[in-house]
Amino acid sequence: MTDQANIEPQPDAGQDDNIVLRTIGLGKSFGKLKAVSDLNLELRRGEVFGFLGPNGAGKSTTVGMILGLIAPTAGSIELFGHKLNDNRWAALRRVGAIIEEPAFYPYLSGWDNLVMLARAIGGVPRAKITDVLERVNLLDRARDRYSHYSMGMKQRLGIASTLLRDPELIILDEPANGLDPAGTLEVRDLIPQLAHENRAVFLCSHLLHEVELVCDRVAIIKGGIILTCAPVKELLERGPLLQIKVDDPARVAAVLAGLPWIRSVKREDNYLIVDASKESPSRVNKALAEHNIFVSELVGRSISLEGVFLELTGGESGD
Amino acid sequence: MIRLISAELFKLRKRSMTRILLWVLLGMTVLFYLLLFAIVQANVSLPNPSAAEGMQNALGLPNAVPFALNVLSAFGTVLAIILAASAIGSEYNWRTIRVMLTSSESRFKLLSSKLISVVILTLIGMVVGLFGGFIMSLITTAIGGYAFDFTFATDEYLWDQFLQFWRTFSVLVPYMLLGFLFAIAGRSVMPGIALGIGILFLEGFFTFFMILAGGWIARIPDYLLSVNVDAITALNDLPQGFGGGGPMGGGFSSQAPEISHAFIVLAGYSLVFIVLAFYLFQKRDVTG
Repeated sequence: MTDQANIEPQPDAGQDDNIVLRTIGLGKSFGKLKAVSDLNLELRRGEVFGFLGPNGAGKSTTVGMILGLIAPTAGSIELFGHKLNDNRWAALRRVGAIIEEPAFYPYLSGWDNLVMLARAIGGVPRAKITDVLERVNLLDRARDRYSHYSMGMKQRLGIASTLLRDPELIILDEPANGLDPAGTLEVRDLIPQLAHENRAVFLCSHLLHEVELVCDRVAIIKGGIILTCAPVKELLERGPLLQIKVDDPARVAAVLAGLPWIRSVKREDNYLIVDASKESPSRVNKALAEHNIFVSELVGRSISLEGVFLELTGGESGD
Repeated sequence: MIRLISAELFKLRKRSMTRILLWVLLGMTVLFYLLLFAIVQANVSLPNPSAAEGMQNALGLPNAVPFALNVLSAFGTVLAIILAASAIGSEYNWRTIRVMLTSSESRFKLLSSKLISVVILTLIGMVVGLFGGFIMSLITTAIGGYAFDFTFATDEYLWDQFLQFWRTFSVLVPYMLLGFLFAIAGRSVMPGIALGIGILFLEGFFTFFMILAGGWIARIPDYLLSVNVDAITALNDLPQGFGGGGPMGGGFSSQAPEISHAFIVLAGYSLVFIVLAFYLFQKRDVTG
C-alpha cells in the first residue's frame, strides 16, 4: 500500500487556483428517488458559502458526496482542481468537516478524541491540538469526557477537530446548533475569520439570519435542485417588495401579472406582495391608476434572506 | 496504515470494554481452575473413574498450557466476537464512522487497520489468558501439595504448545470475522454480537441433530464450523474428557474430519467472511 498522505495534487495548467470545490452536474439517486440533480457549484478561497434548504432538500447528501461518503450516480466533484476519485485522501486531507452533528467517542476526553484523530490523519503536532482547543475556548475542559460535554461544547470540539488538519476547505453543518447566544456570537465571529485565513467555508445552516450575516454567497436547494445561487447582496437587492392593499386583489393581481416589468405577485389576505424589481412604487401606482385601480395602501417592504428562502422554497422551514 | 492502526489501538486501549473483556477472560480461567480444584479436593465420586483422574491431571503443570488454551478456545471465541463486532459496530452507533472515513486514507485501509487491531488485542488476550492459566496451575499445584516438576518442558513440548497456541487462534478467527461481518452488514454492534454468538451456539445444536439423523445429512457438519473447530482443538493433548474444547464443548461428531480438511474449511469460511465484510464496507454509502 502506498502512502498517499504526502502527495499533494497539483492543479492542472490553466486551472483557477482559487477554486477549492467544484461540482459538475452532480446527482444522486436512491433507487427511484432523486436526492440531488444536476448540481453545479463552485467555491473559492476566502469565501463563506451558505447552503440552505428545507428538510430532505439534499444538503446532507451533497455534503456526503463531497466528502466521499456517498457515491454520486451522476456528475463529478473536483477538490482543489482534481477529481475527488483520482486522489481522494490527498484532497480530503485538506478538508475539515462536521457532518450533521459532531460525532466523537463518548468514553474519550475531548483531548483524547483529538489525539486519536491526529494519529489517524498523521503529521499533526501535539501543539496544534492545544492551539485548536484554545481557539474554540475548550482548553480548560479538554480533559473531561466527551459524554459529559454540553451540546455547545460538542459543537466547539467539532469545530476544533475540523481545524486540526489546517484545512483549506471547511464544511460546517449547523455549527451553531445547541450554542447559547454567546456561543453563537463566537461562531459568527469565527467563520469570517477562517475565511480571511484564505480558507473556504461551506456552511449549511437553518439560521437564516446568521447565514445572512456571515455568508458571501448562498445556494438554496429544494428537492435536490438548486433554486438559486447568488451573492447574498444580490439576493437582498431583489427588493424592495411592494405591499399593496386594494379592494379587489384578484383583479389587481391579474393586471400586475400582465406588466412585463413585474417579476412576481403574491397574495397575502387583502394585500398583494409585488416584486417590481427596482422600479419605483410610483410607476406601479401609475400603472394601476391607468386601469382605474386606486390603492388604499402602498408601502415598501424590505427583503431578508429568510424572505427569499421562504419565497423560493414555498414557505418550508429550513431545519 | 501504521498511523491508522495506532489510532485504532489508542481507541481500543482507552475503552473500558476492552479491559472488561480481558478481566472476564481471566475470571473465567480462574473460576474454571478453582471449580476443578474444588471437585478434586472434595473427592467426589464420579461414575467414570478416568474422568476424576483426568480432572486431577488437568490441574497439573504439564497440562497448564493446553488446558488454558482449551478454556481460551471456549470462552475466548465469545469474547473475540464481542471485541470484533464492537470495534466496527460502535463506529456506526456513535456515528463516528463518517469522521473516521474522512480521516482515513481509504476505506480499505481503515477496515484493515481495525481488523489488525482486533487481531493484536485478541493475541494479547490469549497471552494474558495463558499466563493466568499457568499461574492458576502453579497455585493449585502448591495448594494441593503436588510436585513442582518442570521436566515435561522439553523442546518438543514447547514447540507443540507454540503450535497449539496458533491452532487455538485459528479457531477463533472465523467467529471473530463473523461478528465483524454482521456488525458491518447491520451497521451496529448488536447484529454482530447477537448473530455471531447465536451462530456459535446454534450451530452446535444443529450439528448434533444432523449427526443423529445419519446418512448424508450427518456429513454436512463436516463443512460447517463447529465440527472442524473441535477437530483442531482436539489436537490439544489433554486428559480424557477435556479434548475438543469447541464452543459447545465438542464431542458430537463420532468421526472427526481430517485436520487438513478442518483447516481448509475454517480458512474458506474466514476468507468468505472477510471478503464480504470488505465488499460491503467499500461499496455502501455512509448516510445519516
